[in-house]
Amino acid sequence: MSIGLDEVLHVAKLAELAVNENEILRLVDQMNRIVNYVARLDEVPGDRTAEPYLAGPKAVTLREDVEVTLPLARPPSAIAPEFVEGFFLVPRHGAMEDQ
Amino acid sequence: MTAGQRGSGAEAAREVGLRLTQAEPLNAVLHWSQQLLEAEGARVDAMPTPGPLASMPVALKDNIVTVEQPTTCASRILEGYLSPYNATVVDRLRAAGAMIAAKTNLDEFAMGSSTEHSAFGRVKHPLDPTRVPGGSSGGSAALVAAGVVPAALGSETGGSVRQPASFCGVVGVKPSYGRVSRYGLVAFGSSLDCVSVFGRTVDDAARVLSSISGPDPLDATTVDRPPMQVPKALPDLRGQTVGLPQEYFPADLEGGVATALRRTTEQIQALGGEARLVSLPNSVYAVPTYYIIAPAEAAANLARYDGVRYGKRRVGPDGDIRALYRTTRGEGFGEEVRRRILVGTYVLSAGYYDAYYKKAQQVRALIAEDFQRVFASGIDLLLTPTTPTPAFKAGEKTEDPVAMYLADIFVCSMSLAGLPAMSLPVGRSEGLPIGAQLVAPHFGEERMLAVAQVLERAMDPLAEVR
Repeated sequence: MSIGLDEVLHVAKLAELAVNENEILRLVDQMNRIVNYVARLDEVPGDRTAEPYLAGPKAVTLREDVEVTLPLARPPSAIAPEFVEGFFLVPRHGAMEDQ
Repeated sequence: MTAGQRGSGAEAAREVGLRLTQAEPLNAVLHWSQQLLEAEGARVDAMPTPGPLASMPVALKDNIVTVEQPTTCASRILEGYLSPYNATVVDRLRAAGAMIAAKTNLDEFAMGSSTEHSAFGRVKHPLDPTRVPGGSSGGSAALVAAGVVPAALGSETGGSVRQPASFCGVVGVKPSYGRVSRYGLVAFGSSLDCVSVFGRTVDDAARVLSSISGPDPLDATTVDRPPMQVPKALPDLRGQTVGLPQEYFPADLEGGVATALRRTTEQIQALGGEARLVSLPNSVYAVPTYYIIAPAEAAANLARYDGVRYGKRRVGPDGDIRALYRTTRGEGFGEEVRRRILVGTYVLSAGYYDAYYKKAQQVRALIAEDFQRVFASGIDLLLTPTTPTPAFKAGEKTEDPVAMYLADIFVCSMSLAGLPAMSLPVGRSEGLPIGAQLVAPHFGEERMLAVAQVLERAMDPLAEVR
């Protein structure tokens, strides 16, 4: 399996990640090395199975849906880049808002 | 200076401040101040009853959130970020009388095995500045090894405490998944992440782990069990059966590591323990399994750093919201984090999910089942090398991500299986520390630490093995 330039650019778009033109070829090479390495798992026969692994206690999936109070030393307004009248302020989405 | 040998909090604050200043060339610390240290000392001195960690200075990896100091995860994207709450482990350390001494450097968002992937520069090995301290918790390991603090917290996703503990010659303990609250640990791989502990001695590490363990209503993945007890001292290892998994002792194991592990095995037998060869056949797939599951979880967890909710914001050239996300993330994350986000997004994308992610989940279950089978066969603990080599040179593996990932070859299977494991220094090869790894069944930390204490008493960690 190999990954091409277009595929890396597509994945970068899905991941909302700008990729610098200067690094793209190196990135394609490194992604190929990683993906070819992890493809070693193909050696494991598909019919060799075990009970699905669950991280943490089984109760995690069945816990009570109870609200827990989270004491904060600072309000969200103190950590957001911009916060106005109780809302996170984001730059306007030009194409939609111009209509 | 170990637990029980400390003076007042004020004295500890002065001493640690001096040592932190002397240790600056290591670049192991991202945030500390004498003023905060003195406030911590005064708080401890005012406690009506000294706790089990009274006046013990403890450093925190900078992916554990604190109200008073920034939490950056060694990333530009979180530069200057101040958390609105403390991690549960921070509150528990303080309740036990510990002093928060400093926030330590790490590989960005805990992604790395050398602490070279920090936006704030690499951490140097305390014994040889041309080498790496391991990672990703390299700052915490270096501070403990340099004698600045007797204990520090790190985090493990795939060996990020045991591997640097081995490189730096200190004790590193990863608890069972669910033993310690992750509330306030910045998420990387949520099914793998564990707050973990470094100590100069097994006793210091055990005391810290005991103080921070136990269920937490703020983290539903903690297990409803009482906190871990500090283990009672064992006179010897009679009655202990230690398994040696053959897959962890390859023929090409570095000479010093192989000799140190052979000596450790002989010591176990001399102390009355039984050593038995066992097999964990699916462990050979642990690194590729880990490097599918961990990046997949990271890609999801790090989606929150978009420049809108917190952290640095970079507005893109077109001024729209997608450009804002992409520019902020592209400029804010470093190379290794970007690479893992891309790998994670790729293995989760349509057309590849079954081939990679689903397959990795299948193999993860097989790896976990191997451990269950071996422990069910009468094995109390497993013994393996922690790392295939001693600390490597800075820059040696940065151009080849797969070579870097293989530094974790002996540690990430236990993370995939959620098991407790630890690294204990057992000798040196050409002056560089070597660690032996002990692995226990789920929630078997007390026996693991008790056995480690017996070995610690019997072995000289400074002895040259060849």
